[in-house]
Amino acid sequence: MKKILSINNLSKRFGRIQAVDKLELKVSAGQVYGILGPNGSGKTTTLGMILDVVAPDEGGYVWFDNQRPVEARKKIGAILETPSFFPYLTAVRNLMITAHIKQCGEENIEPVLKQSGLYERRNDKFKTYSLGMKQRLSIAAALLSNPPVLILDEPTNGLDPEGIAEVRSLIRNIAKQGKTIIMASHLLDEVQKVCTHFCVLRKGKKLHEGSVSETLGEINKVEVAARDMKKLETVISKFPGKTDFHNNGTSLLITMKEDVNAVDLNDFCFGQGITLKKLLTQRNSLEKEFLKILKEND
Amino acid sequence: MIRALKLEWLKVRNYRVFWILTGMYLLALLVITSGGVFFLEWLKSEGADFRGIDPTIVPIYDFPDIWQNTTYLGSYVIFLLAFIVIISVNNDLTYHTLRQHIIDGISKKEYLMSKMLMIIVMAAVSTLLIFFAGLVNGAIYSHVWGAEYIFQDMEFLAAFFYQIVIYCAMAFLLALVIKKTGFAIVVLFLYAFMFEPVITAIMVNAPAFRDGIAPDIARFFPIKAINNLISIPFGRYIFREIEDYVSIKALAIATGWFAVYLGLIYYILKKRDLK
Repeated sequence: MKKILSINNLSKRFGRIQAVDKLELKVSAGQVYGILGPNGSGKTTTLGMILDVVAPDEGGYVWFDNQRPVEARKKIGAILETPSFFPYLTAVRNLMITAHIKQCGEENIEPVLKQSGLYERRNDKFKTYSLGMKQRLSIAAALLSNPPVLILDEPTNGLDPEGIAEVRSLIRNIAKQGKTIIMASHLLDEVQKVCTHFCVLRKGKKLHEGSVSETLGEINKVEVAARDMKKLETVISKFPGKTDFHNNGTSLLITMKEDVNAVDLNDFCFGQGITLKKLLTQRNSLEKEFLKILKEND
Repeated sequence: MIRALKLEWLKVRNYRVFWILTGMYLLALLVITSGGVFFLEWLKSEGADFRGIDPTIVPIYDFPDIWQNTTYLGSYVIFLLAFIVIISVNNDLTYHTLRQHIIDGISKKEYLMSKMLMIIVMAAVSTLLIFFAGLVNGAIYSHVWGAEYIFQDMEFLAAFFYQIVIYCAMAFLLALVIKKTGFAIVVLFLYAFMFEPVITAIMVNAPAFRDGIAPDIARFFPIKAINNLISIPFGRYIFREIEDYVSIKALAIATGWFAVYLGLIYYILKKRDLK
């Protein structure tokens, strides 16, 4: 797949704190890549370095097959932390500056303002906006040049629940258009809901990298119950698709082989003359995985 | 070039503070360069005279002396323009717009260039204003008229332009280092009008220093280096010898500072993390 970004041996130290430590990352076209980590794990610093606002101590990065970074940045819509605009200018005037820098036409200003729900307030000064509106204006600015790559740093920070839902669905919609999104978040749930790939950072080090579905699918468990638990247990012990099972009193918890799913199990049981009254697929949540990864690396 | 300049234009176009300060600066420039006759009349009404000469007949607006006289006076209000530069640079820092603009796709070099271009445009406007004010004042008061007089000593206009560019580059650097608008303005004002003049005056005039190398060192102080491009012209009206040209030495020292300012600005932009 086409490479969008590769980060090589990137390091940054702030005083005694090693913010980013020999980081290696690759992002390919079409991925929604989540950089996951607790606060202070080096997410924003990493994004800052690949956007040239933080100077790396060591290492480097390559955008789009070695394009000059300043040209590459014109094709990236990025928001880092706080929305940054001139308070004395209106939304439209602020976006005109963005359009000028991105060298894209001003005809997109109206659509992105409508998309972000700011069209009615477009001629009001930025300083009169609420935090949510400011946040939405940054998203509008990031979308202005219709960039193939978006970088979002804690995109739902400070938004109300409705705003969070809006931004998430916006991200999913953008991803559907085949765009690449790189997103930093400390919200596991957010990464799980939105991302296709992720890495885990702690103290600037990469602890884990992989696809969200693979990581979550690694352990595939199914919980089943039937009227006759004894018979169920003997039937399950003959089920070839299991690797292990145990009885927790009211139901059986079966660990399945990777390519086997609940349908196979249900078919098998039915064939053996048992009707299941409970069939519950348990997928691991990213939270469990995350804690596991952190623990493994302690 | 045009692109870099347009970026600055988009920033200030609807910025009222900028226009008010610029208007006040241009007005101050006009007043200080065109008010000479009124000032001399006031001196006369107060009973002053220059060794028996009526002040109002001092030919300060005669071509070509007018150019050195007005650019020298004009250099006293350049600091107002420097304040505007400080405000504009610090806005980019405090609103994080410099950071956002780099993220959006300008290089740090382009930022430096866009600010310097804005400074150059403001310097050009100031120089043109002095030029036209000089033409008008000369037309009214000059005892001689004709291209051979009018277009003599134009080097002072060029020196004035250069003074503004260097002074504003210094303010640009100061704003980057100090980061707080009000503080940077106070520091610049106190340094340019109190500390340095006092220190250099001591170095040049104090009996303990004036025969040594101190007066030569004083020429290298940043504000003096800029001011020395255009020497005080009024000595000629009391028959003192004056430097009625732009000295190469002053030009070299000022250019040295200019290079230092640009180099440091670029270094800071390159090295500093924008957070």
